[in-house]
Amino acid sequence: MKRRGAGLAGAMIILCAWAAWGAPLDEIRRILRDRALHPPGEPVLSALQETTLKRDLKDIDPYARYIPARDYRSPAWGSDVRVGIGAELMERDGNVLLSVYSGGAAYKAGIPDRSRLLAVDGQPVKSGDIQVVADLLRGKEGEPVRLRTLTPEGRKRTFQVSRVSFRAPAVETIEVKGGPVIRIRQFQSGLTRSALRATMEFLLQRRPPGPGTGPKPFVLDLRDATGGDLYEALDTASMFLAPATLLGTMVDRDGNRRKFVSPAGEKKTMPLVLIIGPDTASAAEIFAGALQQNNRAVLVGEQSYGKCSSQTDVHLSDGSVLRFTNSEVLLPDGSSCSGQGLAPDHEIPGTAFLSLPELVSRACAALGN
Amino acid sequence: MSPKQITIAALVLLLSGCVTGGDDPRQGGFFGGVSGLSSGRYEDRVKEREARLEQLRATQRGLDAEKGSLDANRSAALARVDADRNRVAAMQSEIAALEQNTRTLTARQGADQKRVQDLQQRVAELKAGMRNQASSLDALEGSGLGDSDMDLRRKQLEAQRNGLRREYELLMQMQMELAQ
Repeated sequence: MKRRGAGLAGAMIILCAWAAWGAPLDEIRRILRDRALHPPGEPVLSALQETTLKRDLKDIDPYARYIPARDYRSPAWGSDVRVGIGAELMERDGNVLLSVYSGGAAYKAGIPDRSRLLAVDGQPVKSGDIQVVADLLRGKEGEPVRLRTLTPEGRKRTFQVSRVSFRAPAVETIEVKGGPVIRIRQFQSGLTRSALRATMEFLLQRRPPGPGTGPKPFVLDLRDATGGDLYEALDTASMFLAPATLLGTMVDRDGNRRKFVSPAGEKKTMPLVLIIGPDTASAAEIFAGALQQNNRAVLVGEQSYGKCSSQTDVHLSDGSVLRFTNSEVLLPDGSSCSGQGLAPDHEIPGTAFLSLPELVSRACAALGN
Repeated sequence: MSPKQITIAALVLLLSGCVTGGDDPRQGGFFGGVSGLSSGRYEDRVKEREARLEQLRATQRGLDAEKGSLDANRSAALARVDADRNRVAAMQSEIAALEQNTRTLTARQGADQKRVQDLQQRVAELKAGMRNQASSLDALEGSGLGDSDMDLRRKQLEAQRNGLRREYELLMQMQMELAQ
């Protein structure tokens, strides 16, 4: 549903040229006039131009985008196979950090998650260089790249990583002291819920609870979950909530409300801890908010991003796509997280927030486990 | 110390080497061996070495069996991936047939265009989902993941495939309704 402006930026993301030549402007005007959550006035619509379409759309709706047909990829198609180091770049306090995919090339080379990137093939990484770094990391399959890093423990280490093709999984598991952590980065339509269910069942089989002890909480890391499919997020939340529990409410431009409740079916009852942070956004916030407000999960970490709106993709007559905000999503208590984010039940800021073992340890301590 | 004193001292050490020979063959050597031969410990040492050799052989057999079991697990895991791949291929054929029927439907029916368009879009998404499944299974084979990780990934894909199967059945039903 969104990517944070200066925050998480894919090392393997495809750069869009944003060439809006030939964009069907009249069609775009009509759609925004008739369907946008906050329809712009006629003078604004009339001023839309091909040459400045990207900026014009952003002025109307920060999440609106025009996507030429050749660049469009439906969110329902899942993630692409991409050649790279199997990590994403994120900027934090002026540093470029690696968010390492479990099972990817960087992971196999032994690079710890959240390592700070100091140099790529001898070129020093400077603050604000995230796009330059992303370009440096791109390359052909099999080509090695040398990464100078500062690990979360403060050790400088150099790794040689061969770029390989890799598809980001919907759900990853990360082994840390204290048990496995499940990481979700995107709510992918038709993929995340089923993968999460399979993962939990797999982990439960491997680690059945000991006699006389309560079930250990499952820790879900949503720090890098920047959004995805709203319905998938609601479906996933419903795995943990009793039938007929309110998950959220969608409100359109005319004030029409559509409530979503948890359907009947098998429910997972183990305690849940969700790690959230400033990059946790959109569908991930709605998922976390539904579980927090129904007292089904404890949230730890830092304040989330604050985007509880939903976008839709409309195919235009030339095959291109207009993405725009069409509704606001309210949490079970009727509030919206837009602009303020979710507050964690236990705040764990600073360097501890970057260290998964530390987060898990402090979260478990807070819960008395 | 005079040369004579050194000689005596060395002799004392050598003699003490003879008499302190224990049962541990690692403390044997020439003097120990001579001592053992004269005292009957040589046979003990031979037996002990044989026993130790047998122990090493048993360890080797255990390791071989473990490797065989790991290889078998690996083969079984790869066979399961292969079976999954066949299931995906079968589903891809079914979806191709559904897509073909959907195209015919579009040509035949002028009405209900919105539902037909919706169906076509969902069939396209389903096709993409199956393509992802196929390439994920291919990637799994050469991923170098351990058995446990591979098993987990396979289970995730299986659960996702079950979801795609349900979507396929729903779309089949939609297609049949529209064809009536």
